[in-house]
Amino acid sequence: MITWLLLVSLFCNSEQDGNFKDNGVYRCGPQNMTLSTSDNIILLTWQDDPLCMSVREKLIYELEVLIADELVHYEEVTVEPEQIRATHSWNWSSHLALECASHKLKLRSRSGNHTSQWEQEQTIPAGRNPSKRPEVYPRDKVFQVGSKATFCCVLPMGQAFKNLYISGHDSKNWEFSNISTQVHTLTVDLNRASKTSCTNIICEAVNDKKKVVDNGACAYIGYPPDDRDLTCETRDFQSVDCIWKVGQDTHLGLKSPTTYEFLGRRCAEGYNGRCSHKMRVDYAMLNWTLTAQNQLGRVKLIDRADLFHRVYMLAPQEVKVSAVNSSIVRLDWEWEVKLYETLNIKCQVNISDGETHAVKEHIGDGLNSVAINDLIPNWAYMVRIRCGTTQHFWKWSNWSSSVEFNTMGDVPDALDIWMQEKDNQTIITWKVPLANQSHGDIIDYEISWAQSSERQVKANVLHPKHSFALSLDTMEEYAISVIARNQNGSSSPSTIIIPVLSTESNGVKPTRIQGSNGGFNLSWSASPLASCGYIVDWCPTRGPCQIDWLRVPPSKTHVRIFSKNFREGVRYLLSIHACTQTAPLLLEKKEGYVKEKLIQDGLFKLLKWKPRDMDVEISWDPVAIQEQPAFIHGYILYCWDHNNSVTYISTDDPQATSLTAKNLQVSTYRFTVKANTSVGECGDTSITVTLNSMTDNLIKAVGITLITIFVLLCLIVVLCYRNWECIKLKVYPPIPMPVLKDKWMTTLTKQSSHPIFVEMSHHTEAELTAIPELHCKSEAPVKDYADQENISSPSTHGSHDKPIEKPVTHSTTVPCQSLLLALSSSRGHLNPSFIQTSPDSAGGSDGYKPQEQRLYPEEDTDNPLPCVLTYISLPQLPSE
Amino acid sequence: MADRRIGLTGPPEQGRTTAARAVAIAELLHLESSNLLELYRKRESFIANVISGDSRLVSVPPPSSQLETRDKLWCLQTALLHCRGLLERAIAKEDEELGSQMGEYETLRKMVKERLLSLVNTIGELIKAVDSPAMVTPTLNDSLEPDNLTVFEMKLWVFRVFTEVDYWAKTAVTVLQALPKERVRISRLRSTRSSRR
Repeated sequence: MITWLLLVSLFCNSEQDGNFKDNGVYRCGPQNMTLSTSDNIILLTWQDDPLCMSVREKLIYELEVLIADELVHYEEVTVEPEQIRATHSWNWSSHLALECASHKLKLRSRSGNHTSQWEQEQTIPAGRNPSKRPEVYPRDKVFQVGSKATFCCVLPMGQAFKNLYISGHDSKNWEFSNISTQVHTLTVDLNRASKTSCTNIICEAVNDKKKVVDNGACAYIGYPPDDRDLTCETRDFQSVDCIWKVGQDTHLGLKSPTTYEFLGRRCAEGYNGRCSHKMRVDYAMLNWTLTAQNQLGRVKLIDRADLFHRVYMLAPQEVKVSAVNSSIVRLDWEWEVKLYETLNIKCQVNISDGETHAVKEHIGDGLNSVAINDLIPNWAYMVRIRCGTTQHFWKWSNWSSSVEFNTMGDVPDALDIWMQEKDNQTIITWKVPLANQSHGDIIDYEISWAQSSERQVKANVLHPKHSFALSLDTMEEYAISVIARNQNGSSSPSTIIIPVLSTESNGVKPTRIQGSNGGFNLSWSASPLASCGYIVDWCPTRGPCQIDWLRVPPSKTHVRIFSKNFREGVRYLLSIHACTQTAPLLLEKKEGYVKEKLIQDGLFKLLKWKPRDMDVEISWDPVAIQEQPAFIHGYILYCWDHNNSVTYISTDDPQATSLTAKNLQVSTYRFTVKANTSVGECGDTSITVTLNSMTDNLIKAVGITLITIFVLLCLIVVLCYRNWECIKLKVYPPIPMPVLKDKWMTTLTKQSSHPIFVEMSHHTEAELTAIPELHCKSEAPVKDYADQENISSPSTHGSHDKPIEKPVTHSTTVPCQSLLLALSSSRGHLNPSFIQTSPDSAGGSDGYKPQEQRLYPEEDTDNPLPCVLTYISLPQLPSE
Repeated sequence: MADRRIGLTGPPEQGRTTAARAVAIAELLHLESSNLLELYRKRESFIANVISGDSRLVSVPPPSSQLETRDKLWCLQTALLHCRGLLERAIAKEDEELGSQMGEYETLRKMVKERLLSLVNTIGELIKAVDSPAMVTPTLNDSLEPDNLTVFEMKLWVFRVFTEVDYWAKTAVTVLQALPKERVRISRLRSTRSSRR
């Protein structure tokens, strides 16, 4: 028995020992190893040695991958006892392109503490480059952004490595290494997607002629698909339509475009984010699945839905309008999908007149017609419709095509009338009906008015005039009605009560209001009398006014007034009236500017100044409201002296017309008056004033007075000189010539045919008659003037330097004026002359002739005769 | 010998106008092809010598000054026809490999192609204006068609095509600008010949 056991034990040991070779090596190893490569993947297959059949425990295969005799990967493959004898396979993707370097694979088995011998296989050795250029690997490979990639440059024999780079990437994280002198690698973090096509990896080498030789490869760096938000729906219950959001550009272009599959079928146009498949849709909650994939990844989108809750209806077809009247039409349409007629449908009708639009909703089973009411008569409309399911509403259909129609005409709407008191007249005015109020072409308006006790008076106003002036008895109340007429008839009348002469407007003082954003925000106290609301009217405070108004419902006590006619810098008066059952009642008045504007310079037309001691009062005319584009809150007077230092005086009284600058110095000042408004100081008007001392003023006044007197005297002298003849005639009128009958006189008369007049104003006739000698000389005039100063020196003849031998003892000087006789027809002029005591004296014209007057030649008849006062020496009368 | 010299058959003004137009088109083509080349070089981050050492794609000898006007024009037209064929293939190849888009590069590429065709036609008119026998349109060497190229190799080939177009556009400008002088010389010779007769 013991022997038997020993034998069995020996047998068993011998069986186990059969897995070992003679040298003690484990004999259960791999066999029939085959190595293949695909892309960058190494695939290894092998079988177990038949000796492994006896192994009862799991068998482990150890795999080692070596590149350039350097271990780059180690892995163990476990084979369960039941898998022994099967063909085993293993694959591995190398980080390095297989073209870069040969990969050596070593494989051995291990069982317990026993290991077989290494069996090895090697990839096709690379690194041999038969071309003349460097070769870069991998080529045209797809990489994901963010991954790390290794590129190698395999140089031809005889070339030296120069550079290896990847375009468009930062060289900061590049790792260079060389597998051999001919194979160089670059490991880089691919953090940028390829831009236009693929990214270039370029290797530069230097050949034996020291010339740089380039070559490269392309790498597609991009993203896996990241589409999302799949939503499926049905439109006709015969197909499923899915839409989703397409993800970012994968940057892989045609190299690896994203492909889509829906329910296992290809979506050719999935890149648009929509896919449709024909299939009958039933009531069921289902998963609708879409996959999107490229070389870098795959994404699966799932939408779980009952498509009967996801009905996206088709737009209504054949929309028609029928039964059109002035305010109602009927709309009919058809459904393309018959199944819609069984659904409860709600539809939106969009009705538009080009400017405004309204949407009305209608619900019904299989809804295919609606009535649209409340339309404007004589109006053009455009209508369209869209629908959706009422239950489990998903989304509205597209709008149907638009249908246009015109409603029928009608009588005009009642007019909006108002009144305005102007120049003792009552202007009834109304707003011209808008197109949506006239319901046809307005022909005219009919105004009727009556006192309470009198019969109605009517008048017609042709369109488009929209006001009518009435001269009414201000002591009576009137009811005035206006109606508008078009081809369809007359509007209902609009009536306004004109009250007895109202004085309330005088009692209501306007308060100020500030405009904003081109209008006025108006508010007022509610009035219990305003049973039918309020009326706000407005007009410019000054100038022509086309009144405008606005009706406000009783519930509102504030309103924004805006008018396209509002202008900045114009003051408006706004009146708030209560609308009562009788006449309107004025409640409040407000005035203000839509926007105040700066007043232009030169606001004060004429600045006047008045000195008062060392003060100066600057005054101006009141500023008219038309010239105020802003409320004037006061005035400021700026005073600049010659040093340009400034002082100012101001007033807050907008009615002020003067300001006084005090305690000024003798100097020149510039005064500027400005109006103070809420938009700033403006309307600058300046005046320059020079202040003098009192002494200066006195001297100036005296000087001016003296000069004035002197000038006046000169003027008088000149005037007297020029008009001396006249003055003389006035002062000394001509004296008739005395009639002398003496012989000497007769003789004299014979010699001179001209009468002689002697002017003696201050002598009596008796004295005149006593003049013994008076002669007029008719000879040629002498040139010299008589010297008036020597008239007291009797001179009969000879030179003045001769002594007077016999002075005249009884001589009397008598002024004599030679007469101005313009005797142009006569030869001689009347010339006062001296008595010629000797004939010789006639030729002594050059001698001293103190009594001689200047004589003019007779021929010069045009010259006026000068009139010179002459003194004549009278001889002593004989005592007899 | 003088009888073998070529002259202009059409109206002198017409020939002059066509020559001027050809010069203008060639100058435009040269400008645009230079821009295209530069744009492509920047877009692909190519350095200038990436294709250095490669043989020329168009194997037509450049028109030398020794040639007659007619021969010069013929050489030029042949080379430009080659360029046009290459450019069309390059565009098709790019679109096939990388997809067709419509950006600045694609627009410029199309413009150069059309300008090149316009220049070829204008030079054809000029050749007709020279009293020469009908020329046989050169057939393109199909062996130039790139095949089984990697994308990078295709890019290099496209770069070579653009370089070739630029080179021949520049050559065209030079040759065509020299034409009026030739014509003056021809006219003078012709008048001399007439006087001898």
